[in-house]
Amino acid sequence: MKPNRHLDDATLVGYSAGALPAALAVVAAAHLERCAECRAHLRDADRIGGALLQQQRADAPAEDARLAILARLDAEPEGGPAVLPIEAVDAHDPDRLPRALQPWFGQSLRALRWKRVAPGVQRIRASGIGGGDLMLLRIAPGNKLPLHSHGGSELTMILDGAYDDLLGHFGPGDVADLDGETLHQPVTSPGVPCICVAATDAPLKFSGWLARTLQPLFGF
Amino acid sequence: MGSVAGGKLRMMGPDHSAAEVTPFRAMRPVPAVNNVTPDARYWSTQMAAVSTQRDRASFMRIFDHFAPRLQRYLRNLGVPESIADELVQEALLTLWRKAAMFDPARASLATWLYRVARNLYIDHVRREPHWSPIQEGLDQLDQLESGRLDSQPESSFDQDLLKQAIDQLPPVQAKLVRMCYLESKSHSEIARELDMPLGSVKSSLRRSFAKLQGSMRGAR
Repeated sequence: MKPNRHLDDATLVGYSAGALPAALAVVAAAHLERCAECRAHLRDADRIGGALLQQQRADAPAEDARLAILARLDAEPEGGPAVLPIEAVDAHDPDRLPRALQPWFGQSLRALRWKRVAPGVQRIRASGIGGGDLMLLRIAPGNKLPLHSHGGSELTMILDGAYDDLLGHFGPGDVADLDGETLHQPVTSPGVPCICVAATDAPLKFSGWLARTLQPLFGF
Repeated sequence: MGSVAGGKLRMMGPDHSAAEVTPFRAMRPVPAVNNVTPDARYWSTQMAAVSTQRDRASFMRIFDHFAPRLQRYLRNLGVPESIADELVQEALLTLWRKAAMFDPARASLATWLYRVARNLYIDHVRREPHWSPIQEGLDQLDQLESGRLDSQPESSFDQDLLKQAIDQLPPVQAKLVRMCYLESKSHSEIARELDMPLGSVKSSLRRSFAKLQGSMRGAR
């Protein structure tokens, strides 16, 4: 399935530069795996990196560095350079999580062990990610989430199900790439639960009394 | 090795040898090029010699040009000098080992080395061990798709136009692009440091990217 909603170019530039907080980079990579269009933009972003590398002011190479690399070549095994085989990418299996998520959540959507955090809302939080917050959310169909905005960046990718908010409809593979100013209230579609992976680099800010009640449940 | 190849060529007849042998002359050690910037085609010729003939003279030409630039790039990212030295060696050793994977139609050598260095930085300095395998996975998807890409092959665009476009960015945009690529600062960090709203940082980066991308497309 081809995603309809894509990464912001600013996010792709950050990704290319290695400048995204780790949690956001994981969600961006998960979308990139399923989106050839964003991969094409990423290649352009990498070219900008390549041009900036070329523009670096350069001194003459240090003689000891030249000798060191030649010594390392001597230590390399003889023979031609390795050509790694290209692995066939498995046909889209709806149960398989994107590769970028697997180190944090395992391979299978069905095998996930959810924790209830609020009525109709389950969550699994990645531990030890370092930069930012990364979590899977499973939200019951037809559920309205509290109105919230973000102090920083938020990146959400739908893995299964769908939701709507003021920005429109989001289905599997789509990403919502939001900055601090967006105040939104996703409503999940009827039918199946909406499963998404969300990354933030700052705590969510909920509005209203209900949200203030929920905030401790979310653990932000 | 050059003489073996030259011998083969000579058997093809004197007319051919005169034309075909010319590239091998460039494989003799030559003084570093200071005034003329070698172009992408020059580097892909050097890479072909490294890949097919394991030619050390070509390898050292690449080393002499790129090692100091990679060193500067990593030092700008805040990598301590001794670690930067080590990562530069590692990047060039990766080039030697994976030379056969280099495809000039997909990326210029500068872009390819930029990716290698960035991945080493994220692996070894930021310590995100999952990053590199995921990048390799994305790269494989692109390889499988190459031929039906909507992005241009890198060899067909003029890198000088991209460099000019980088030099012509308005000061604020140029600053944000550099903070992102060359200091690896997240959008939120940039916003804090420059006291700008996060949304403005992202929209400014988006506009810069559109301009730079336009310069690549313009070379069609």
